[in-house]
Amino acid sequence: MMMKSLRQDWLSNVRNDLLAGLVVALALIPEAIAFSIIAGVDPKVGLYASFSIATIIAFAGGRPGMISAATGAMALVMVMLVKEHGLQYLLAATVLTGVLQILAGWLKLGAQMRFVSRSVITGFVNALAILIFMAQLPELTDVTWHVYAMTAAGLGIIYGFPYITRAVPSPLIAIVVLTAVAIFLGLDIRTVGDMGELPDSLPVFLLPDVPLTFETLKIIFPVSATLAVVGLLESMMTAAIVDDLTDSSSNKNRECVGQGVANIATGFLGGMAGCAMIGQSVINVKSGGRGRLSTLVAGVFLLLMVVFVGDWVARIPMAALVAVMIMVSIGTFNWASIRNLREHPKSSSIVMLATVLVTVGTHDLANGVLVGVLLSGFFFAHKVGRILRVSSQTEDQGRVRTYNVTGQVFFASSERFINAFDYKEVIEKVRIDVSRAHFWDITAVSALDKVVIKFRREATAVEVIGLNQASATMVDRFAVHDKDGGDDIMMGH
Amino acid sequence: MTPENKVLACVDQSHFADYVADYAAWAARRMDAPLEFLHVIDRHPEQGSGDDHSGAIGIDAQENLLKKLSAEDEAHTESAREQGRIFLNRLRERAIASSTATVDVRQRHGELEETLAEQEADVRLLVLGRRGESAALTHRDLGRNVERVVRALHKPILTVTEGFTEPERVMIAFDGGSVTRRGVEMVAVSPLFRGLPIYLLMSGKPSHDAPKQLEWARTTLQSAGFTVTADLIPGDAESIIASTIKAQAIDLLVMGAFSHSPLRSLLFGSKTAELLRSSTIPTLLLR
Repeated sequence: MMMKSLRQDWLSNVRNDLLAGLVVALALIPEAIAFSIIAGVDPKVGLYASFSIATIIAFAGGRPGMISAATGAMALVMVMLVKEHGLQYLLAATVLTGVLQILAGWLKLGAQMRFVSRSVITGFVNALAILIFMAQLPELTDVTWHVYAMTAAGLGIIYGFPYITRAVPSPLIAIVVLTAVAIFLGLDIRTVGDMGELPDSLPVFLLPDVPLTFETLKIIFPVSATLAVVGLLESMMTAAIVDDLTDSSSNKNRECVGQGVANIATGFLGGMAGCAMIGQSVINVKSGGRGRLSTLVAGVFLLLMVVFVGDWVARIPMAALVAVMIMVSIGTFNWASIRNLREHPKSSSIVMLATVLVTVGTHDLANGVLVGVLLSGFFFAHKVGRILRVSSQTEDQGRVRTYNVTGQVFFASSERFINAFDYKEVIEKVRIDVSRAHFWDITAVSALDKVVIKFRREATAVEVIGLNQASATMVDRFAVHDKDGGDDIMMGH
Repeated sequence: MTPENKVLACVDQSHFADYVADYAAWAARRMDAPLEFLHVIDRHPEQGSGDDHSGAIGIDAQENLLKKLSAEDEAHTESAREQGRIFLNRLRERAIASSTATVDVRQRHGELEETLAEQEADVRLLVLGRRGESAALTHRDLGRNVERVVRALHKPILTVTEGFTEPERVMIAFDGGSVTRRGVEMVAVSPLFRGLPIYLLMSGKPSHDAPKQLEWARTTLQSAGFTVTADLIPGDAESIIASTIKAQAIDLLVMGAFSHSPLRSLLFGSKTAELLRSSTIPTLLLR
């Protein structure tokens, strides 16, 4: 069985995996450089990272065919750390990120992705696209018209060339053409070489040069924790996307551990932390990549390209890179979500927009997701809180009034519950039948207490029926959802 | 739900399917069991189709790709389904023509091994071609599915090769082990070989209680009304079985299968696989 799945993961799609891996590698190079620039480090940090993460995740990951490398989402989180403490602290933070991600995998936190709603995911993706786009703006401000012309031409080639042939990656054509034009015309515009050091050798194992003290931990831990969360979020989302596209399933917890292993190794090889990439994974699947081989080829080929034709990479004009990154941002953005704004429920749209706004405002995807998840929980509680009905009628010739409570009583609906009773009614006795209601928490129980006390003050006797059934849903105490017949208790009345 | 106790014939779209169908129909007739043809359509999500190496992603790239891929899968499944249906109906008519009473067909998605494991409870006898669709391409003597399927299941499996002749002389390769002892008991009570002469062969390393065990098998079958010839020929089981098949004009072999672990057969080779490769007569494998 193991041999079989090994063969299936690696060798069932060799030709397509090889070709797709090449396409992806070519697109990874500009991205790795661009994300290094976002993070404020030399391009070689991002390039080494992309090589190392892609290569290791090919073996350790849980989702064959998914591409992981240095990413924009992660680069944005590390900006301040690099600015204030330098590269070595980033490498240490990268290693720690990996450790945290492995822990998350062991604790099976991958499954907790179910609390991240569709709207939050859409918001995350859109925010990511906007941030990638915004990161290109420094390259497009205070520059000569040549840069604008070059960028426009680059985009023209990227989107136009596939109409001629789809056999060759159009971003590569754009880069080659723009580089040739810039050299031929001797244009004085910024090139990749101006942005920092490129790799001139294979990466080597290095311990991050930081003091092993509590101070260091205090500096890197917050960053690492955020990196771990953001990396896992994007990886889980991308895995779900690849699952959908290829109609197959992935091992989410193995992916968490794999991301961790990849980041640890990357930190020691002088690379920045990374994660799965939505855009690149879509490109890979689109080019026919399905197996682990595609990811491995992408990583290895990327490094070979950069090390052996590094001189040429240095001469690529930044305008060409900007064009590629604008393409990535357009391809990552969920355009349907704009059309859907009008049709979807307002609460979903608010969650999506809040996720985008908070992320773009703080440049931190973790914050955006946190706000999105809290808001979706809030809206859900609000909606469910409205499922509460209290009806009543008198019995025994006007001596007794029976209230029938149906629906959900919990913190969000307890106020409505209390207000549903008529305390001013002059009557001997009220009977409150809660056997068809669910009391979810302590707030619900104390709301009922309050109702009883209010009636007693009016000298009205109170009888509560069916409280045991109703409060059986206080799952913390009774844990009915774990037991056989739990469904009956929850649904039956 | 009571198990259907059917004869399940696994067919793929190769010319071997006809012989599988013939033997399955023969077995169903003899056992008075319903016959079902099963065609498994493999799906390969691990294989990509890639003619687009443009590497450019534009507006709604993800949605468009999802639409394109699912449309491709849909078209592929539709044509496979229709093709399979026509092919299965041809086999069904072939079986009905040979006066088999109840014949049904079924197509399933998935892998052969998994599908069979799911269907196993309702199966009395499984009929399987030893080679299949890819035979001409791979030149393998034994289809790659056979060992996997046999190992995954716990029902008797009739494996067939090319050609169909109604079996008239049956040989049981008896080794005294629990599997073949159970096999002898099964043959004794089954209507499958009723009325056919049975040749009991015991070979391999000589042991002192071999004659006793062979005698037990002979009397078990005889008391069930079979005409039995028993032989004890010490020596290399594989070559003796092969030569006896020729000498006695046997046209169906019954034997235990893959009693050793997959690791062992990977290292030392498997007797079962060797025999299945070298012999050309249908073989009933017991698990």
